[in-house]
Amino acid sequence: MPPDPWVLAFDTSAAHCAVALLAGKTRRVCRVDSMVRGQAEHLMPMLETVLAEAGITWRDLNLIAVGTGPGNFTGIRISVAAARGLALALAIPAIGVSGFDTLAHGQAGPLWSVIPARRGHFYARYDEGPITGVPLQLSAPELDQLTGQKLCRTDVPAETFVENIARVSLGRADRAQPRPAPLYVRPPDAAPSNITAPILLT
Amino acid sequence: MRSGVTCHQINWQDGVSMVKSVTILGLESSCDDTAAAVVRANGPEISVLASVVYGQTELHAPFGGVVPEIAARAHAEKIDHCVEEALDRAEVSLSQVDAIAVTAGPGLIGGVLSGVMCAKGLSAGANLPLIGVNHLAGHALTPRFTDGAVFPYLMLLVSGGHCQFLLVAGHDDFTRLGGTIDDAPGEAFDKTAKLLGLAQPGGPSVERAAKDGEATRFAFPRPLLDRPGCDMSFSGLKTALLRARNALLEAQGGLTAQDVADLSAGFQAAVCDVLTEKSRRALTLFKERHPDTPPLLAVAGGVAANGAIRDGLTALSRREGAGFIAPPLGYCTDNAAMIAWAGLERYRAGQFDDLTLVARPRWPLDSQSAPMLGSGKKGAKA
Ligand SMILES: Nc1ncnc2c1ncn2[C@@H]1O[C@H](COP(=O)(O)OP(=O)(O)OP(=O)(O)O)[C@@H](O)[C@H]1O
Repeated sequence: MPPDPWVLAFDTSAAHCAVALLAGKTRRVCRVDSMVRGQAEHLMPMLETVLAEAGITWRDLNLIAVGTGPGNFTGIRISVAAARGLALALAIPAIGVSGFDTLAHGQAGPLWSVIPARRGHFYARYDEGPITGVPLQLSAPELDQLTGQKLCRTDVPAETFVENIARVSLGRADRAQPRPAPLYVRPPDAAPSNITAPILLT
Repeated sequence: MRSGVTCHQINWQDGVSMVKSVTILGLESSCDDTAAAVVRANGPEISVLASVVYGQTELHAPFGGVVPEIAARAHAEKIDHCVEEALDRAEVSLSQVDAIAVTAGPGLIGGVLSGVMCAKGLSAGANLPLIGVNHLAGHALTPRFTDGAVFPYLMLLVSGGHCQFLLVAGHDDFTRLGGTIDDAPGEAFDKTAKLLGLAQPGGPSVERAAKDGEATRFAFPRPLLDRPGCDMSFSGLKTALLRARNALLEAQGGLTAQDVADLSAGFQAAVCDVLTEKSRRALTLFKERHPDTPPLLAVAGGVAANGAIRDGLTALSRREGAGFIAPPLGYCTDNAAMIAWAGLERYRAGQFDDLTLVARPRWPLDSQSAPMLGSGKKGAKA
């Protein structure tokens, strides 16, 4: 990795396409387009515009950073699949960064990172310094019980959020990382089959 | 035809002569198989350099069918591995590939999106054209690269999610002559297996059980045979099987091995009769529309693996003076070689997409005919 690597970070875990391009620690371009749907069609052309704005091409990139959620299941798959395809074609690493790691970036002391989920619930993780907790799903009343503790919530601007995805990935780029994978927290909804096999008579 | 083996020569029929060889990477993730393949055309010579399929049967086994969210999760984390393996096995690097073809629908949207986004990443990163392929076109064009089929021909597509007759007149020219108005036969085989306590996927296990069975013991219906046309229905057959099973359970408290065999044989015979008779009518329509072409019936989809159904269709074709093509099983069920192939046909025609390519849950092949309500275990698709 060169001293000031080009890092392209993107996130579609919420109602947006958020993109940040950094040269080393310097932010070069950052763009957020809000949308509830249509990220799959919008993301790649948007990435190309961002590269063009900085006067570089795909081949100049050194690192891909991608938001892995938690968040909208389809949204996090869109970015993760695109990041994997790009990494393969460009032969550069793609690093997945969770929303919790992104929110906790640069924060000191014990804290809860909180991300809105569906149906009035929240995804949350409690960290004490470098020791990160297990991601949980909390109801609104459960979240209320955390008052008095330090909370980091996704009401940070999406620009800051996606820029921090890039910064977290930079901190990990010196060692081999697993391929980016969505962080769902919630298991898939699936009901076991309701057909019971008949008794076999002999 | 195994991967790596050159197959039939193709008669392109389009007057375009290709000076250089063309290599297409194909991706497929529309249902419960993650697949990637590399196909090359060298003049009229077609070879599948690699075809890799990662199945998901075990992931869905505890549930009543394919669970869309489980499928989507698996595709998103497997598709790039699958591509890497296909390129490795083909001993081809992306720089030697001419275009990326990907299933853009119809299918389970979470899976389709994973494939489409990975393909977009590959296309952008490797600076290669992107080609969105209709999954059903992939199935329908398979006899071209496996057996050198020449347009026009009649296609019976029969799988877990589909059942339709297509008149294939060109790589982008499909007319649906009829199809299921409810379930697909593969789905009915799977449900039957579940009801009889046989293993999933149901097709092979029901076929095995049927070998020792007496097909005439239960009088199962042949739905829609009394009506003209090529439409089919299989949900009534499913219900009839359920009733017959429940009657036995009530009377005896369980099923004997002979009961299971007879129910399987009766069910399979009914599906076979419906498919054979409707294929006869579809062939008649084909002959009417193309009186000067030697008729050709081709079949694809997982249910085409069924020996009794194959035998029925083979005999029918002989009686009707038609040719019959059943591609090797690995190219009948979901695979990416057929997507790469369909992409190759589009490549020749200069039909490309860009990075805004849309993933579509529904995408009828034949835009002229009314949309089918026929669904299957994967939900309505086309
Ligand atoms: N020997 C057989 N006899 C009958 N049905 C079979 C046999 N072997 C497989 N099948 C059925 O074929 C189906 C799987 O086929 P296939 O992989 O082509 O399609 P699919 O997964 O339903 O996808 P799609 O509809 O998207 O093409 C299953 O329902 C299975 O039970």
